[in-house]
Amino acid sequence: MKKNLKITPEGTKDYLFKECTAVDYVCKKIQNVFDNHQFHRVITPALEYYDLFSTDSSGISPESMFKTTDNNGRLIAVRPDSTLPIARLVSTRMQNEVLPVRLYYNQAVYRNNPSLTGRSNEIMQMGIELIGSRGKRADLEVITTAIQSMQAVSDDFRIEVGHSMLFNTLLDSLDADEEIKEHIRIYIENKNYSALNDILDKLNPSDTVTAIRTVPSLFGGEEVFERAEKIINNKKALDAIEYLKSLYKDLSTLDLGDKIIIDLGLVQHNDYYSGIVFTGYVLGYGDAILSGGRYDKIFDEFNCSIGASGFAININHLAEQARYYSKSNIPEVLVFAKNDCDIMKAIKYTSKLVEQGTKAQFSDLSDESEAREFAEKLGIKKFEIIGD
Amino acid sequence: MKPIRIALTKGRLEKSTVELFEKLGYNCDEIHNKGRRLILSVDGGQFEVVLAKAADVITYVEHGVCDLGVVGKDTILENGTSFYELLDLGFGKCKFALACKKGYDFYHGYGAKTIATKYPKVTRNFFEGKNMDVRVIKIEGSVELAPLVGLADGIVDIVETGSTLKANDLEVIEYVTDISARLIANTASLKLRKYEIEELVRKMEAEVK
Repeated sequence: MKKNLKITPEGTKDYLFKECTAVDYVCKKIQNVFDNHQFHRVITPALEYYDLFSTDSSGISPESMFKTTDNNGRLIAVRPDSTLPIARLVSTRMQNEVLPVRLYYNQAVYRNNPSLTGRSNEIMQMGIELIGSRGKRADLEVITTAIQSMQAVSDDFRIEVGHSMLFNTLLDSLDADEEIKEHIRIYIENKNYSALNDILDKLNPSDTVTAIRTVPSLFGGEEVFERAEKIINNKKALDAIEYLKSLYKDLSTLDLGDKIIIDLGLVQHNDYYSGIVFTGYVLGYGDAILSGGRYDKIFDEFNCSIGASGFAININHLAEQARYYSKSNIPEVLVFAKNDCDIMKAIKYTSKLVEQGTKAQFSDLSDESEAREFAEKLGIKKFEIIGD
Repeated sequence: MKPIRIALTKGRLEKSTVELFEKLGYNCDEIHNKGRRLILSVDGGQFEVVLAKAADVITYVEHGVCDLGVVGKDTILENGTSFYELLDLGFGKCKFALACKKGYDFYHGYGAKTIATKYPKVTRNFFEGKNMDVRVIKIEGSVELAPLVGLADGIVDIVETGSTLKANDLEVIEYVTDISARLIANTASLKLRKYEIEELVRKMEAEVK
């Protein structure tokens, strides 16, 4: 017997019955939100050339991609992200379309996570891309769509909003070499205060050093802005704060209270963010389930300078939570054809019941007692016989 | 409201954390009389403490089944990926050090050196920082044995007093980094339960400073 005949690869799994119903339920809820904002679905291939994901700004490590080759030996990656394929698609096949375009996707991405960590290597994702517009209007619509998507599937969630330029300008004005800056970036992202302080202690003291030391602890409500303005005197960084402040004011009209958090220390892995960034969390799950922002820079790679923003939501975990309240998929009626000559009649009758709104299923077992037993075992309440 | 769940590294760090909690006025009787239980409530259910092995503390926190964790910097350096490190608790202090047989000139010559260690990631990062290509061998038990029997040129390990090294005729060549216990937090918990966690962190910080 083949060794791996009966198992699925690590990080993947089968979804059955209620698990699928729950996935459908979550997807439908989110799709409603996307539809309401007039986003249109696209599907991109699961296989893409590796080059698409290996650009400097992609932020995807080569180790985390599943790779293979095409029949000319060119390197292929199994899609680790849907934004870059969509950027490729827009900058090539849609270059004559009227901008901005609103696209959404509902497809899995694949990441080769370290083994034995319990992480999924196949992540179902839904997301939107608002391409061809910049500025506050686009930012607010994308964040609002993200918030509404979270609201549609969870009662207790948080969305934190930050600005990538804030930290990037502080880091640019810092007098240190690139390697140190990269370390600082990682420490801030992980809220690793002690390592951050260690590395900052070694630099010459300056206002920028003090600001970088404090930025990671700047998350919360409105009070964050005041604290930030006291310690930051970099013009560009203050502009970013001012912009966030006005966004926050607009978003507070949604009356969500502390569900919206400002996080000035929010730094994403991906170098490609060039404006607002945001992340979503739900109670009961230890990692972000939504992440997004503005990434105008990625279109530079395609020699096409247009604005872009969007986000992706991971469906897997939301579906796991939804499983407990998703509807049962057990039919209400089992229709049995007494004789072979009644089969078509019974199938048609079943269709009629379904049209009328009853969950009916045609029995494809030919023995009546077997069919009755099947209905009983499954918990189908009504058993109907067609024919004499 | 669900209690905040804190994973503690069993043993010495657990003891010091409990002392810290008691200084803050939290009742830890259940931890003192734990028997064989692994989940214990603190201060009448305000917090819940889980006892685990060091590396597992990180796993529980990363997956969000525990909101906070107390774990040594050594474990963080070796296993850590995505969580927030909030506080240096100041106890459990020791050092990572590179050591070899007394009198051995470790940096001499061009041959690639072999290092035995329980911490391959820390070792690799340390030598990468020096642009040195080394062979790393993972050892589970007493690492000090490896250079003595000729398996390795040196070791990277935790050194507290240095007495084990001395007893085996080994000496420290260079300290890699300082280690102490850290308070870590799950990324989502910190956002979803910000005020409760911040309050606890403030209290702990005031006490350990």
